[in-house]
Amino acid sequence: MNPQVPNPNRVLVIDDSESIHKLVIARLRPEGLEVIGESDGERGIERAVADQPDVILLDISLPNVDGFEVCRRLKEHASTRNIPIIFLTGTADTESKVRGLDLGAVDYVTKPFDQVELRARVRAALRTKRLQDILEQQSFLDGLTGLWNRSYLDRRLESELNVARRYGRPLTLVLADVDHFKRVNDSLGHLFGDIVLQGIAEGLRAYARRSDIVARYGGEEFAILLTDTNLRSAVHVSERLRMSAESRHFEARSEIVSVTASFGVACSEEIGPVLTPEELIRAADVALYASKDAGRNCVHVYRNGELLLTTGDPEALGP
Amino acid sequence: MDPIRSTYEADPDMLEIVCDFARELPARVTKLEALLTTRAFAELQTLAHQLKGAGGGYGFPQITEVAGRLEQALKSGLPEPVIEDRAAELCAILRAVVVPETR
Repeated sequence: MNPQVPNPNRVLVIDDSESIHKLVIARLRPEGLEVIGESDGERGIERAVADQPDVILLDISLPNVDGFEVCRRLKEHASTRNIPIIFLTGTADTESKVRGLDLGAVDYVTKPFDQVELRARVRAALRTKRLQDILEQQSFLDGLTGLWNRSYLDRRLESELNVARRYGRPLTLVLADVDHFKRVNDSLGHLFGDIVLQGIAEGLRAYARRSDIVARYGGEEFAILLTDTNLRSAVHVSERLRMSAESRHFEARSEIVSVTASFGVACSEEIGPVLTPEELIRAADVALYASKDAGRNCVHVYRNGELLLTTGDPEALGP
Repeated sequence: MDPIRSTYEADPDMLEIVCDFARELPARVTKLEALLTTRAFAELQTLAHQLKGAGGGYGFPQITEVAGRLEQALKSGLPEPVIEDRAAELCAILRAVVVPETR
């Protein structure tokens, strides 16, 4: 996944009245907004989690679960917490407005709403959301390489592990470390070291798949998270990444320098049923150190407590 | 009662959904009367609440006003004759709504 800010243009309406849905669609579509809708609270929450709207228009008086409760739950969920909520209220009493705002809503619109007001309030919420997204994203990017940073990777690792567990899909973590980086830094200077890191990062990004999450994990260490990928496919990807590092050349003064990197791979399927992020990282790290010990510029995998060298041995994982 | 027209008839973004809304009103009158006859006041209150919220948005501020009065009467548990009066008033307004012509 490449860092990018999506266009904030999807509005979710949670209201039990069909007439209100149609009205909001007619009023917001000319603004270039995509409007989706649900008529009860439970389904509204599910839809918000699944479709990640940029703003939610939420009716207070819903059947079963009321709007206040829906708001509280949306604010509890990590994936929906930052979506601005505008309450649609049929009653203009101060108590409801205050209660909604205290629960984390950014605004409210009283029904029947004036179209100009509705549009303006939605625009304002979208503006704030967009700035917030940009800020959040910047705080997750590594300044030197433009890759995701460690805190983003840690966050994604945790949520992807949950997904992997829930749907029984494999999740693989690859750790990569530039070989003899200290030597490069010491002999050719830190500026050159930075150029090397940028080049390696570029290679990793270019040779990873679109769905892979490529991060700078620290100093000269990189982490690549491969969703829905088993050990065998991950070894293919890792081998490609290893070659992308090996084939890069850097010009320093009058000499051409090339560097290599060592890789360690661990897959959630091959470790244990209850797996923590730390355990997956540790397993990949152990494999990475096996690659270092074996002379560097190679890939090791961790499988059921065993460490296997896969570089140059396509049969290492068995037939 | 004079015919009631939507204030948004001339708005091209709105014309189609105003027509839909106006066409559905006779069915809402039928439902409203049925709920009143069976004294299903909770559902009647929901219906009034929805009409109050939607009416003005479709260019019928009268619907919002009268539906709001019915909702209030139900919410405060006013005597049944009051509720019947306000329900009748709302039905009269809904019946007076004219479906806009589309070209």
